[in-house]
Amino acid sequence: MTGVPLRVLGIETSCDETAAAVVDDGRDTLSSVVASQADLHARFGGVVPEIASRAHVELINDVIAQALVEAGVALGDLDAIAATHGPGLAGALLVGVSAAKALALVTGAPYVGVNHHEAHMYAAMLDDPALEPPMCTLVASGGHTLLVAMDGHGSYRVLGQTVDDAAGEAFDKVARFLGLGYPGGPAIDRVALEGDPTAIPFPRPMLADGLDFSFSGLKTAVVNYVRRNPDAEVADIAASFQAAVVDVLVTKLLRAAQETGMTTVVIGGGVAANSALRTRLLDEADAAGLRVVVPPLALCTDNAAMIAAVAAYRLRADGPTPLDSGATPNLRLA
Amino acid sequence: MQLLAIDTSTRRVGVALGDASGVQALLAIGGPCDEGPPRHAEELVPAIDHLVRRSGGGLDRISAIAVSIGPGMFTGLRVGVTTAKVLGQALRVPLIPIVSLDLLAYPLHYAGSLVVPVMDARRHEVYYALYQPVPGGIQRIGNYEMGAVEDVTAELAARGQEALVCGDGALRFASAFADLDRVDLAGSSHGTPSLAALVELAVARYEREEFVAPADVVPLYLRRSDAELAWDHREP
Ligand SMILES: [Zn+2]
Repeated sequence: MTGVPLRVLGIETSCDETAAAVVDDGRDTLSSVVASQADLHARFGGVVPEIASRAHVELINDVIAQALVEAGVALGDLDAIAATHGPGLAGALLVGVSAAKALALVTGAPYVGVNHHEAHMYAAMLDDPALEPPMCTLVASGGHTLLVAMDGHGSYRVLGQTVDDAAGEAFDKVARFLGLGYPGGPAIDRVALEGDPTAIPFPRPMLADGLDFSFSGLKTAVVNYVRRNPDAEVADIAASFQAAVVDVLVTKLLRAAQETGMTTVVIGGGVAANSALRTRLLDEADAAGLRVVVPPLALCTDNAAMIAAVAAYRLRADGPTPLDSGATPNLRLA
Repeated sequence: MQLLAIDTSTRRVGVALGDASGVQALLAIGGPCDEGPPRHAEELVPAIDHLVRRSGGGLDRISAIAVSIGPGMFTGLRVGVTTAKVLGQALRVPLIPIVSLDLLAYPLHYAGSLVVPVMDARRHEVYYALYQPVPGGIQRIGNYEMGAVEDVTAELAARGQEALVCGDGALRFASAFADLDRVDLAGSSHGTPSLAALVELAVARYEREEFVAPADVVPLYLRRSDAELAWDHREP
């Protein structure tokens, strides 16, 4: 980025993490604080929107304060205040948006509303400060599965998305079915380490056609298999299910790179924290001669550093977001 | 001493500046019975900005923030309470949280009868509380409650006292209260929590230094989430 560096405070409250971070110029993370609410939602087997919204209100002051202290930055040192304004849970988004606008009002710094999906794509740039578009990105989480061609900063083409369940949703549902608890992604990842990923040939939905995804049939296949084979090893089921999801995700990401002629691939979102996905993608992208960026786990799951990172680019390109704007739960990327 | 006062417990977005002499300026957007998506997140911060600018001061002159914490509309409460909490944190001033039902009851303390604020809680339920006149003011009897409209009418019928019912719930369910003997409806000017009451009650607490740190202020929901309610009634 050129010009005077921008120091941005980012706030993220779109789902079940309350987060704040300070990032310089979209690349240099001074602090990144994440208060996870996973414990609050665990007994319900998924994120409960009303509980998430309430927890954000309780946590927001401390998370902001800690992000400033850890960065060694005062409010007056900030050049912009950013928050996720969509997509996400309506009641949850409002907390971060309200907090950011209040800080913007006090400091006089511009407010920047950020698209959560876009932020997941920028997380890789916090890991690799030399990374620049064009690049092919896969954003996979409990809420979304998106394959996006990033032609430049702020310039996106959605190449594929899920037609039913998100990848992370499939992990959660299968984990719940197998009695592995919530959140499902880390639980399956852990159990799968002890299992044989080739034990059960679960279907690879829509593997051959296009760049869209479908995961609900795979979940059904797991359920049917367990009903027919009640004595099957849970570790083998978890490993085989995970292998099927990873196969589909990696195959389509690499196919997207091939079809767009892009030579860089990156991943983001909670599912990008999956160890099998990371290993497989690194191997295959290397073999295909592609540059691949697999950000550390803390940058894959929801965080505010990625929000602050996007905001620096958006502010320079588009200017501030008006203070009379709200949240858009179904905000689209492009 | 200058107070910023915020009430977003109904569909109305209300902001006021005031001090020991009362309200200096106020801005209210929307009515309690408006339809359409709520606009608290869009309207509140610009309203505060406008009010502060027009009154010729800056935010740095504010010495405390009074905020209506509910009960009321969840979306509104989250916007209002979060905004107040973060403004308080950034300005390094304390918060004075006040219950919305108190703000509905207080302006009617001259009524000389029971005062019963009733707020729409949706699903044919209401938030309410009963207040009785005492020398120099009004005093709540019993808890802040959530219940069916019929719970309130039954309680009033059983008491048989003169009562004045106010709030957006009174407007919405006017016909249920109109049938009761000795019960009057306060009318639409008492449909939303009073910003003047918010300033007046907060000034009194300010003088008694009844402050709360921004991080410790939470909305008063009175209703738990459906997931928690279902959890308590799950099959064993
Ligand atoms: Zn996310």
